Amino acid sequence: MLKASSLMVFYENMLALNNVSIRCENQQIVGVFGANSAGKSTLMYTLSGIMEDIKKKEVMAGGERITVMGEIEYLGQDIMGLKPSRRAKAGIILCPERRRIFKESSVLENLKIGGYLASPAQAKTTLEYVFTLFPALKNLSKRVGGFLSGGEQQMLAIGRALMAQPKLLFLDEPLLGLSPLIQATLVRATKVIRDEQKISLIVTEQYARPVLPIVDFAFILENGAAVLEGTREELMDNPDIRSAYFGI
Amino acid sequence: MVNTEQFRRERLDRGIKIRTDGLYALMSWRELSYLTLPRLILIVGMLLLPLIVPGMYWQKVVTILCIYALLAISFDFLAHYVGLVSLGGAFFIGAGGYLAAILNSTYGFPPILTIPIATLVGAAVCTLLLLPCLPLRGVYFAIVTLMYPLVLARIIEALDILGGTDGIVGVDSFANRWVEQYAVIAMVLLALFGIRRLVNLDIGLVFRAVMDNDQAVRASGMNISYYKAIAVFIGSALGCLGGACLVHIYMWCGISLFALDFSILPIAATVIGGSGTLVGPVLGCLILVPISELLREFGTLRIVFYSLILMGFIVFRSEGLMVYGERKYHQFQRWVKV
Repeated sequence: MLKASSLMVFYENMLALNNVSIRCENQQIVGVFGANSAGKSTLMYTLSGIMEDIKKKEVMAGGERITVMGEIEYLGQDIMGLKPSRRAKAGIILCPERRRIFKESSVLENLKIGGYLASPAQAKTTLEYVFTLFPALKNLSKRVGGFLSGGEQQMLAIGRALMAQPKLLFLDEPLLGLSPLIQATLVRATKVIRDEQKISLIVTEQYARPVLPIVDFAFILENGAAVLEGTREELMDNPDIRSAYFGI
Repeated sequence: MVNTEQFRRERLDRGIKIRTDGLYALMSWRELSYLTLPRLILIVGMLLLPLIVPGMYWQKVVTILCIYALLAISFDFLAHYVGLVSLGGAFFIGAGGYLAAILNSTYGFPPILTIPIATLVGAAVCTLLLLPCLPLRGVYFAIVTLMYPLVLARIIEALDILGGTDGIVGVDSFANRWVEQYAVIAMVLLALFGIRRLVNLDIGLVFRAVMDNDQAVRASGMNISYYKAIAVFIGSALGCLGGACLVHIYMWCGISLFALDFSILPIAATVIGGSGTLVGPVLGCLILVPISELLREFGTLRIVFYSLILMGFIVFRSEGLMVYGERKYHQFQRWVKV
């Protein structure tokens, strides 16, 4: 479904992604694991096209120059250099790190904003779907986004991303700073989304253990390079990986 | 793979920049001049300015330019080092101007006394009046600073105090025009280098921290309103200084001191010169004020040209001249194979 090959991203002279190739098949959950500064978020930004936006802003403000190289193929089409809005219309949706929900809007409004580009019928069904997926949100639908707890905000962020009718959903560190219980809920929801919505997901995390049971395939990033890849079982069998990323 | 064929433009610091970062700068003339030349050009250029411009009219323009430069430095300092967007140029100019005029015409103080007194008292008054909106974050400061000059001008007009619409006439001038010009030029240079020193002191760090995250500053046990008040005092002192000089230059003080030009032009100059550089705004004034004088021949169309120049800068070079220049001065580019 998505195939990115030899991605290179420079922030000025700093190499953020070094020759990273990743792929995601139809209806797969792909994990991308790595420590801080491994390049996970850069990878997400590059794939979802936000990088093009950041690049433009930096050029306008005379800041760092960002160079992006490589190839990204999505559904057989080259999407390198495509605007993020075009990619979103094609079904590539990013649920950003630290949630970035609209803090001043209510839960319902947040979801509606996410579904702005979907047809009214689609938006209605997805809205109902989000409320069945995260029943907690239904009772809070009038609550202002900024007053939600971290876990609820993350549910809202995922819900908002779903409203945009993704075919390929990126979850950037969805478990950041959440309690193990909420983490488990979210991981379960992620699998449910894949099974019920028939979409592909790419999930990044620093700590792989909670997410590992649901991923089909995983990549491990280290200092901007993809050092290892494999199916869940392959990675579990590697003792170095087990100790470094899974904490087993 | 394709990427073996690809090239990327790399930006690197010049060797001399690295060398002059340390004490080695004192080792050779070349490195010394690399450091001091840009500053010298600015200082010598400013000092020569009254001598090289043709005629009295343009000398007057240079003086007015310096007043605007003071305001622009004050705006840049408040906006990009403390995070307070001030539209109060007119307010500061008016406060300083009226104080100096009253001190001079009513109490007979000479300019050498009225200017420092008006600067300090004016700054204190401005800070006091702005104090209520300092704990707030956001646009409130900008709105309040914008409202004060309008309010004060209308009060003076309506109550017919302080000379009313006629203003205060018969304010003493400087001893002669050379004193006048070099006084304001010296003030601009002092303000420029002084503020640049200030923002690198410890208190400058606190100012910048207030801009970045005032909650974290509060959590560190510091009173942000206090620090903001200090910053506003410094910023408004620069503006009041400009205002006090201005009334002695015009030998007149009226409600046109509260004109919006004093609030807007410094902002435009900061945008053009490069925000957050402090030198940039002065540079912006050096460009904008003469342009606005030259365009006077076009009558009302001048605003159109003026706006076009501004928009061009914002769209194509929103970083500002100074940021661009600094980069070209300190860094070079080359193509590298990826």
